[in-house]
Amino acid sequence: MEMQDINYNKSEYVETASGNKVSRQTVLCGSQNIVLQGKVIVQSDAIIRGDLANVRTGRYCIISKEAVIRPPYKKFSKGVAFFPLTMGDHVFVGERSIVNAAVVGSYVYIGKNVVIGRRCVLKDCCVIEDDTILAPETVVPPFTKYSGSPGMQIGEVPECQQDLMIDFTRSYYQHFVPTKII
Amino acid sequence: MSYIIGSDVVRYACTCGILKPISKLYFCRHCLEVRCGFCVCHEVDSHFCGKCAENLPSSEARLKKNRCGNCYDCPSCHQQLTTRAATVGPKNPEDPKATPRKVFYLLCLLCRWSSRDVGIPDQSAVSGGWPERENIHANRLQEIQDMYKGIVLLDKQQKLEKDKKKQRRYMSFTDRTGITASMLRKRVGLPDIPHPLLKPKPKEPEPAVAKEDVEELPEELLTKPVNLCEVTTMEQRLVQPEWQPITVEKLFPIHKQLSVKRSQRCRSCEHNVSKPEYNPNSIKFKIQLFACFHIPEVRIVTVEPLRAGKTCELLLKFSNPTQHQTVITFLPVTLEMEETKISEQVTEDKSVVDDYLLEKKQPLSLTGTGSQPSSLLHASLSRQPSITVKPRPIAVPVVADITIPTSTFILPPRDDAAEYDDSGDTHNIQDDSKLVIWRKSNKAVVKLQVTPKEDLKIGDEVVAGFTMQHIYVNTITTVDNKEPQKCEHKVKVFVTLGNLVGSE
Amino acid sequence: MPLYEGIGAITDKLVVVIDIGAAYTKLGFSGEFSPRCIIRSEVKCKDTGRVRNIRDYENAQDLYDLLVDFVHMLYFKYALLSPKDRPVVIIESLLCPTIFRETLAKVLFCHYEVSMMLVLPSHLVCLAPLAVDTALVLDVGYTEAIAIPVCHGLPVIHAWQALPIASQAVHGNLKTLLTACNTGINSISEWTIEDIKVRCCFVTTQKRAQEFSKATPEITTCLEVKYPLEGSRTLTIPGKVRETVYEIFFEEDNDHQCMSTMILDAILKVNVDLRIKLSENIVIMGGTAMTPGFKNRLKDELYKQLKSDRYSKLKITKFKFHSPPSKDNYTAWLGGAIYGCTELLSMKGLSRENYLKENRLPDWANMKDNLRTL
Repeated sequence: MEMQDINYNKSEYVETASGNKVSRQTVLCGSQNIVLQGKVIVQSDAIIRGDLANVRTGRYCIISKEAVIRPPYKKFSKGVAFFPLTMGDHVFVGERSIVNAAVVGSYVYIGKNVVIGRRCVLKDCCVIEDDTILAPETVVPPFTKYSGSPGMQIGEVPECQQDLMIDFTRSYYQHFVPTKII
Repeated sequence: MSYIIGSDVVRYACTCGILKPISKLYFCRHCLEVRCGFCVCHEVDSHFCGKCAENLPSSEARLKKNRCGNCYDCPSCHQQLTTRAATVGPKNPEDPKATPRKVFYLLCLLCRWSSRDVGIPDQSAVSGGWPERENIHANRLQEIQDMYKGIVLLDKQQKLEKDKKKQRRYMSFTDRTGITASMLRKRVGLPDIPHPLLKPKPKEPEPAVAKEDVEELPEELLTKPVNLCEVTTMEQRLVQPEWQPITVEKLFPIHKQLSVKRSQRCRSCEHNVSKPEYNPNSIKFKIQLFACFHIPEVRIVTVEPLRAGKTCELLLKFSNPTQHQTVITFLPVTLEMEETKISEQVTEDKSVVDDYLLEKKQPLSLTGTGSQPSSLLHASLSRQPSITVKPRPIAVPVVADITIPTSTFILPPRDDAAEYDDSGDTHNIQDDSKLVIWRKSNKAVVKLQVTPKEDLKIGDEVVAGFTMQHIYVNTITTVDNKEPQKCEHKVKVFVTLGNLVGSE
Repeated sequence: MPLYEGIGAITDKLVVVIDIGAAYTKLGFSGEFSPRCIIRSEVKCKDTGRVRNIRDYENAQDLYDLLVDFVHMLYFKYALLSPKDRPVVIIESLLCPTIFRETLAKVLFCHYEVSMMLVLPSHLVCLAPLAVDTALVLDVGYTEAIAIPVCHGLPVIHAWQALPIASQAVHGNLKTLLTACNTGINSISEWTIEDIKVRCCFVTTQKRAQEFSKATPEITTCLEVKYPLEGSRTLTIPGKVRETVYEIFFEEDNDHQCMSTMILDAILKVNVDLRIKLSENIVIMGGTAMTPGFKNRLKDELYKQLKSDRYSKLKITKFKFHSPPSKDNYTAWLGGAIYGCTELLSMKGLSRENYLKENRLPDWANMKDNLRTL
């Protein structure tokens, strides 16, 4: 199906020079540590914890409503250290998902209500279906589909996933338009 | 997004008759046919471990029983195990030089199982060094196996000798002269060949001894309460077939299973349609002939609420993924798959059991048929020719008719740079305004009329179909034709339009 | 054997050995001593998205599609091997339905293009790990229990006995017994019932069973078990149910048949000379036979049945049981693995060319394959 226009209230969103559309109702802690590469959409009520460690996203990422992007920590004998979280290009994070991963590759689709355990590694072109809970430190190989609680591999993803995600995120960005005031 | 998660609304018919969305189809450039996962031949390309992303050559994979040497899975919840370090005090507390050493144990982060629960001692090396278990019956079974191999081999040799002996027709040397072979041997000084019956027979394995006593019912089952946390489940048992422990204390960690990278090959022309890179982390492909790069993609934009017998409007969006201009023509659709040109020239086998016939491909039968390039290779001699199965009829109830428009429309080539160019559309294309509503670079939205059949009930699913003919430019150059060839390619498209809302 | 042949056998011929059962499939390689994996015989149907057992097919075409998906999963997820141009060994029951074996052959030869297929009967090959050639084989699986005697390496098929008293019947019995004290039993999946059966239930002794069959039993049952389902629901499994759910194996039905009579009837149908040898070589295989207390009870029941009138002709006095060097649920697979590593595969296997000429598998029930050659 062709995507329909998603309208947003123009006053609610800030559009930066590089094309990032960030909602004003988000909780962006430590915004100097957050790097949004370009054409990234961060929808309302999302939380990005840049105060714990660096958060870096690629181009055309979409962080849906109420999602939480939180860098993972590692316990040492002398305390706790937070590790930076990097996301690749063309990543979609669904609503109310919590991402604690150490690395999220490119072209990844994360569904709604997903909990990505701490220090997980999601490689490129994987799909995490809705309502999945991934155990900590799981490595998700490319072209796999994970589902369930605890997340197990349930299938494979077609090889043209890269193009599908590029198309999906680009058209999402193009259709994310402010409501026209007549 | 519907390709990633969601039902398949627009499906194409593969040459084998199965309907698939365009994301799951391949396009063979040599046969100029659409192929799907069912009709291609899958092959294992390389083995790798999903966790450590290490490639294993196939001989090593075979030796390690298709398991990674370093990574382990939790026997209780089947998730990946991590290695944790703990410090142990020095062996000799009074010696000032001895430093506390690090020991490692395996821990599951989900169910908190650890290698200490089963009594495996902590290892001093980070990886490797975990004890391996052997099958207790290994010796006896190896002995039986070797002996049976010997018996069968002898059987086979005897059979071969019997076949040879039947063919004597001529008078032997002994019949003519009266001198036997053994006399000659004695004369020359060679040792005597023992009589075949005196040859030592291969040892037969010792048969097992049956016993009168069998294992009794353990008394504890009758008296003790059952703690379900200590009894293993069927899944936990079957993951380790050799031991199948009943209690949780015997659950040992299992090596992680490897994954494979698969390549796909078209059965009729033996060319690869998809071949991934060797590196497990890489998502690129050495050969990628996916349908979404060669065949125009059809998407539903909107459809009017459907009523039985009434003509409703349907808007479809076509996009051209290739670098060449294409012309799209509409044709009516039939549910029977046409026999491909290959099958016409092949003899058919008669079969009793099944509905559809088997055909064996003749390597040289693909001579000059219309638009097919003559570069189709004669089947390579090292591989046996693939068997192609007759396509099955399409199993979808088409309950709505699409009025086929008579006009065609042009789709310009895909231009990646146009995304950044805001100067507007430079293609000046005259369109039938009733057909094409909207255009942008390589995409166009087309309006069609759909009429669901009159005898449908409210709530029935409506499926409509049409054949899309597009001009495909084959960029493979051969010895004969140095220029890219244009050919017309037809593909059947079926759209699921939702449920019927009302009636006339 | 010459040395070079041994090396060639290691590097090249990886023969996949598959035993497809009604509930579980055993997959491994020849020359190994245990299967690589034992997985459920079910596959996700592409059209509906539900997981279906491959024995629940509607017609031949449906079975073909299911088997294509199932064999794909076996090769590319578990065996990690390309099926094309490689031999395969299939182990099946002697009473396997023709439509299943023919469709499996078509899937393997036409769709996956294996080079050679050797089909072995499970009741015969399970004797290979024991190195015995005469025995009475009892296979207690999921759908049915089958007893076939094997004499001097040949299964005596006319003496076959089969009864539908196996895991499926036990699951049904368990469901009925549990509905009496719990609610919502019908919504529990088959695999959960199997888990309850495996973890909580067992086969009790003959004496206790006799007490339970009285109207007022005087013995104390074993303790009950609280089995947790998802969420906070628990099922109560009373002690009596735990002990008596397997009694259907030993209660005679309307035809006066049960597991013990099955074995004795099979022995009766064999030649008089071999009867004693058969009774002293009984092999029990199949997953259901791994239940704690099963073998002991079967032995007691056999001795009890011997005393009845209809078996007075049988001059047997004692029963002896074999313990194979494997777990009972993969004994047949192990036999197939041993057969698969010998030259029998090239001698007796069906090659692809021969299959395409004939378009059918050789079958003991087909007269074409039973012509005696002089």
